[in-house]
Amino acid sequence: MVTKTSADVVIVGTGVVGVVIAEQLLDAGHSVLMIEAGPRVSRAEVVENWRNAPLGVKGDTSVAYPSRPWAPHPMGNEKGDEAYLQLSGPDSYAQTFIRYAGGSTWHWAGTSWRLTPEDMRLKSLYGVGRDWAFDYDTLEPYYVRTENKLGICGPSDPALQWPRVARSAPYPMPHLPFSPGEERFTEIARTLGYNNIPVAQARNSGMPYDGRPACCANNNCVPVCPVAAKYDAETALHRLEKKGATILVDSVVYKVETNAQNKIEAVHFYDQHKETHRIDGKLFVLACNGLENPKLLLMSKDDRNPNGVANSSDQVGRNMMDHPQLTLTVTTKEPFWSGIGPVVNSGIMETSQGSFRSEHAGAYFRYNNFARNRFVTFAALKKGLVGKALDEEIRRMTACTADIVAAHEVLPDPNNRLTLSDKTDWLGLPKPHIHYDVGEYTRKSAEVYSLPIGKRIAEAMGATDVKISPKFNQSKHIMGGTIMGNDASNSVVDADCRAHDHENLFIPGGGAMASTACGNSTITMVALAIKAGDAIVDQMRGA
Amino acid sequence: MKTVKSFALAAPLVLAATAPITASAQEFSKELIEKGRYLATASDCVACHTNHEGGKPMAGGLPMASPVGTIVSTNITPSKEFGIGNYTEAQFSDAVRKGIRGDGANLYPAMPYVSYSNMTDEDIHALYAYFMQGVQPVDEKSPETNLPFPMNFRASMMSWNMLFRPNEVHKDDPGQSAEWNRGKYLAEGAAHCSTCHTPRGIFMQEQKSLNLTGGQIGAWYAPDITNDPVHGIGSWTQAELVTYLKTGKLENKAQAAGSMAEAISYSFQHLTDADLNAIATYVRSVPSANAAGTTGATRFDKGAPGNDMAAFRGKDYADGLKGDHAGAQIFAANCASCHGYNAQGTRDGYYPSLFHNAATAGDNSINVISAILNGVDRHTEDEHVFMPPFGDQTNAVVQLTNVEVASLSNYLLAQYGNDKLTVTPEDVQVIREGGPKSNMVQMARIGIGAGVTAVALLLASLIWYRSRRKTKPALSA
Repeated sequence: MVTKTSADVVIVGTGVVGVVIAEQLLDAGHSVLMIEAGPRVSRAEVVENWRNAPLGVKGDTSVAYPSRPWAPHPMGNEKGDEAYLQLSGPDSYAQTFIRYAGGSTWHWAGTSWRLTPEDMRLKSLYGVGRDWAFDYDTLEPYYVRTENKLGICGPSDPALQWPRVARSAPYPMPHLPFSPGEERFTEIARTLGYNNIPVAQARNSGMPYDGRPACCANNNCVPVCPVAAKYDAETALHRLEKKGATILVDSVVYKVETNAQNKIEAVHFYDQHKETHRIDGKLFVLACNGLENPKLLLMSKDDRNPNGVANSSDQVGRNMMDHPQLTLTVTTKEPFWSGIGPVVNSGIMETSQGSFRSEHAGAYFRYNNFARNRFVTFAALKKGLVGKALDEEIRRMTACTADIVAAHEVLPDPNNRLTLSDKTDWLGLPKPHIHYDVGEYTRKSAEVYSLPIGKRIAEAMGATDVKISPKFNQSKHIMGGTIMGNDASNSVVDADCRAHDHENLFIPGGGAMASTACGNSTITMVALAIKAGDAIVDQMRGA
Repeated sequence: MKTVKSFALAAPLVLAATAPITASAQEFSKELIEKGRYLATASDCVACHTNHEGGKPMAGGLPMASPVGTIVSTNITPSKEFGIGNYTEAQFSDAVRKGIRGDGANLYPAMPYVSYSNMTDEDIHALYAYFMQGVQPVDEKSPETNLPFPMNFRASMMSWNMLFRPNEVHKDDPGQSAEWNRGKYLAEGAAHCSTCHTPRGIFMQEQKSLNLTGGQIGAWYAPDITNDPVHGIGSWTQAELVTYLKTGKLENKAQAAGSMAEAISYSFQHLTDADLNAIATYVRSVPSANAAGTTGATRFDKGAPGNDMAAFRGKDYADGLKGDHAGAQIFAANCASCHGYNAQGTRDGYYPSLFHNAATAGDNSINVISAILNGVDRHTEDEHVFMPPFGDQTNAVVQLTNVEVASLSNYLLAQYGNDKLTVTPEDVQVIREGGPKSNMVQMARIGIGAGVTAVALLLASLIWYRSRRKTKPALSA
C-alpha cells in the first residue's frame, strides 16, 4: 500500500540508480515511494532552456537546468560563499550534478565502459588503493542486465570490446559509426600502436529501443538528448508511475531517522514552502548521488549514531573520487571535423591498464566528438575578425581543432573528504564542503605517462599548436563517499550496498565504488544498483 | 487434396454445404500450406490476431478500440481447446467469409469478413490448410470481448449481415485485364482496403457509394485513395503506389502510420511485386464518387519550408508558450530536433519533411493530431521507422496537453500544410480517446425502447439497396 506518507520501500532520489531499483521492486510487487528534491520538468523545456541560452554561458551545461532555491545544485556562475559546493584543497572538486526528477543522466554523454577484472583488484595486483568486495565475474551478469535495461549499444566484434574478457551476452544494439574526425584519429592512433575502439553507450543506434527513438545525431547529448534516444532516467518516470510508484518532487530530504534497533524508521523532508513532512517505510534506499548521500547521512546524526547515520566506520564522506582529466586542444593543418554523431563515440582504453599501476595512475584517451563551432567562436571573435572573414575562421577552426582528453583514475584517500559546511542553503541546511587533492599517484601519471602519450598523439595528428589544460578538471563522476567493503570498520556499505550499520538501509551507486578505474562510472553504478535491488527483493521476501 | 471450384456456386449456403469437411488429421501439402501462408499475409491476419506486446503469433488478445467499445481479438491458432483447432473447413469458411463462429455465434465486423467474403473456395482451402498445419498452436485463452448493451447480443449482427454483408465470391470481369482482376480480388478481398478507406454509415457499414473516398478509423484518417487527381491519389504513378505499399513511404508525399503502418509492416511489403502491381492497377482505376473535375493543389504538394523562431528565441520557454507563437515554440522544442528547424526532414527521407506531406495537408486534421499523439511505428525490410508518441503513453518524449497539441497542429497546418484547417483542444481530446464514438449504441438502446430499430433498419436497408445500385456501375467502370 502506497500512501503519501508510507510505502514498503522509500527511495530518496529519482536518478538512474533510484529509478532502476524502483522498477525492480515494483516488478516484484512492492509499493515504492520516491522522493525528489528538485522539480519535474519536460524535455521540451530543458531543450529550449539550452537553445535560448546565449553562447557565452553555454560552457556551463547547468544553464539548461536552473536550480530551484530549495534544491540547489552547482551552477557555473556561483562564486565563493554563494556557491553551493564549498571547496578547498590543492585541486578543486568542482562537480556538476542535477537535482531534478531524472537526475544527472539528463546531461550525461551515455558513455558506458565496464570495469576490467584488474580494476577491481588494485591492492592485490599493484599494492595500491582497495580491492573490491567481489570480483569481476560476480559483477558481469549485472553489467549485462544494465546494458539491456538502459539500452547500451556496443561492438559485437570481441576485438573491439572492452574489457578484453568474454562477455556472457552481446550488446542489445550495434555500435554507432565514427565521425570523420574519429576515423582519422583512429588511424593515427593505430600508427602509434593504440586501438581507438567504439565506446559502449546508452544510445539507440539505428533502431528504436524500449519505446525510445533511434539517435538522429543532434550532437547535443550533453546537456540533453532532445529526442530521448540517449537513455536518461526521466524516460522511465511515467512507466514507474504506471506500475504504481508514487513520485514526490520539490521535496528535500534532510534527515534519516533511526529507531531503538538502529534500523531506519523514516525520512523527513522539507517541501518548497519549508513545511516538514515524515515518510515511514520498511526499507530505505538513498539514491541521491555520491555527494548528496554522504551529506544527508552526516546531517542525520543522532544519539545512537553520533558521527552520522551509517558512519560507525568514520568513512562516510571520505574517499571522494572522480576521474581527473586533462585536455589537449590540438590545432591541425588538415581538417578533422568533429560533431557528426554523439559527443563521445570512441576511446583508447588499453592505456588504463598495466603493471605501471603500482607506480602511477592509468589514463583513458578520447577524441571529443562535440561539434567545435561553439568552442572556437570566441577565439575567432577575439582575433577581431568580422563578416565573411569571421565566418571562414569559425569554419576553419571548427574543422581544424580537436580536444583530446586524458581521463585518469584516482586512489581512495580518506583525506579527500566531504564535511558539512557552516554555510547554509535557502532551507538553512548545511552546504557540502569538500577538500580534494588528486594525489601524487595521479599527478605522476600526468608527468610521466598520460601527457607524454597525449603529446605523441597530437604530434602524429600534425598539430601546429597544442594547448594543455593547466590543471586537472573534474569529470563529474562522483565516487567513493559511501565506500563498499567487507570490513565494516573501514567501509560504509557491504557487497550489496547495504549499510553495515543499518540492515534496512541501502546506499547504492557511485559512492560505493572502491576504485575508479578510468572509464565513466554510470554503468558500474547501475550494475551495483541492480545487485542491490536483487538483495532488497530477497530481503523483503524474508521480511 | 480436394479443391472446389467456386465459380459455379453463387450462394454461400450451398458453398458451405459442399466445401470439403475435413478433419485436421488430414495432411495438407507443403505447397498448399505455403499458399495459405501467403494469403494470410495478404489478409494481414497477424496484425489484429496477435498482441504485439509479448503475445504469440495468431494467439489473439489484442484490444482494439472501436466506436462501439473495445473488441479483443481471438486465438486463431490450431489449439483445440483455445483456438480453432476443431474447426472443419466449412466452419472456417463461414468464420472468414460470413462472420459466423464455429459455435454459430456471430463475429463482429471488426473481423473484415465483409471483405473476405469475396475469397474463392480454393483460397479458403489454402488458408484453412495453413491455419491448421502452418500455425503453431498456442494453448492460451484470449480475453473475452465485452461490448456494452445491446452490442453484447451477437445475434444483433444477423440483421446487420442481412443488410450489409455481400454474399458473392469474386468473379473476373472479362472486360478488364487479368492484372486488374487479380488486383480487384486482392484489394477488395484479402487486403480489405475498403475496411478503412471507405467511409462508414450510421450502422458502421461501409458506404459502397463512397468506395475508397476516405474514412476515419479510430484515431486515424484513412485518406481518399481513389484516382481523383486532387483529393485521391490520381497524381501518383503506378510505380509510386507500388513503392508506397512496399516501403510505407513516398518521399515528399506521404508515409504510412497507424493501421496502414501495420498493413505495410505485416502484409504489403511481403507480397510479390506482381500482386502489388495488380493492387495498384485496380486501385488506380477506382473513381471518386465525389469527383467533379476538381483541380488545385493535392495534399502532396502544399506548404513550404520555414520557421518562426525569431519570434521567441532568447525568451524563456514559458514566455514562448504564451501568445501567437506558442505553436512555433512547441514545434522548436519537440519536433525540430528530428524534422529540422525548417521542417525540411532529412535527405535520406527517414525523417519526412512536414511540408509536401499528406499528413499536414489532408482535407482534415485527424492525421496531424494523431501523428503527434500516437507517433509512427513501421517495420520494413530496410528500416524500422519509429516516431515516438507525444500523448499519454509512458514512452511519450513529452506528454503534450490538448492545448499544446492544438497549438502545434495549427502551426503545422498554417506553416506547412492545409492552412484552411484549424484544430481545437476538443478535437485533440477526441483523437486522444481513440477517435469519435459511434452513437449507434445509444441509438440502439433508445430504438429498442421506442420500437424504432426495425424502422431504422428498414430505412437503412432501403438506403443500402439504393446505394448498392448506384455503386455498381462505378465499381466495374
